[in-house]
Amino acid sequence: MGLAENLATYLEVAGTLFAIGTFGFLARRNAISMLMSIELMLNAVNLSIVAFGAFIPTLQTQGAVIALLVIATAAAEATVGLAIVIAIFRNRKTPLVDEYDAMRR
Amino acid sequence: MRAWLYLIAAAIAGGIVATPAILVFVLFGGTFDDALFAALATLLIVSAIAVVTMRDIIRCGLAMIVSFLALAGIYVILRAPIVAATQVLVYIGAISVLILFAIMLTQEKVAPTKLVFQTQAVPGAVAAIIIALLVSITALGTDWKASADRVRAATEQVASLLFSSYVLPFEVVSVLLLAAVVGGVFIAKKERRPEPGSDI
Repeated sequence: MGLAENLATYLEVAGTLFAIGTFGFLARRNAISMLMSIELMLNAVNLSIVAFGAFIPTLQTQGAVIALLVIATAAAEATVGLAIVIAIFRNRKTPLVDEYDAMRR
Repeated sequence: MRAWLYLIAAAIAGGIVATPAILVFVLFGGTFDDALFAALATLLIVSAIAVVTMRDIIRCGLAMIVSFLALAGIYVILRAPIVAATQVLVYIGAISVLILFAIMLTQEKVAPTKLVFQTQAVPGAVAAIIIALLVSITALGTDWKASADRVRAATEQVASLLFSSYVLPFEVVSVLLLAAVVGGVFIAKKERRPEPGSDI
């Protein structure tokens, strides 16, 4: 059947995961939920990078290297994003993004 | 009573994860790798859906850890063990703990009773479904010139490549991490002097 020996199945899983992350980012009200959705999307992209690295001969082992760099960048993004959320929470006393309306009033 | 409910929920979750693996393994005659991939992919997708839909945010965080773990298993199936180890170390060990601490610092007691989704949830769902369809059409319709089986990303080769061709991105990432840590501490630690009458 070759489910695990086929590049397209990995890409399907990655695309589905990316779409779920997109929905969470667009739909959730909580700022930390939105950050978690961004992590899901980064994971989906990383999965597709590793799958390409495993299946495309010219990308052999380069996919794993690029994936490691992406993971490090995602860690930096999570650090700064959560720090910003905590700083905003300290000022506004709420984690819900639709109550951050200081620039609209 | 509640313990029974939790047991039933655990049984249902285990069934949801095990069913595709059994189907692939028994009915369609897949290999052990196929069955494992089916189970892990199902676990990944189901826990990701739980992350974006559950009401209690601490449960969202725990479901996120499950999805990271399932993804690490998929990396192992893809024969990239160093990426799987890094996934466990960085995502489960560092980012999840960071997110759980942020949840602990920012949640109020009444938060679980409030609305979970914004008013734009339905357009967001439509956009997500369109993205999923486009990605799947592209993934299935393109000839990727892929090799017949997975090539193992041996750790020695990854290390030699990382420290020869990719040494400049490696150094840039280390500087970026330092800058992110310093900036994160600065932003999150900044104390504001209480001024009477100030709004923001």
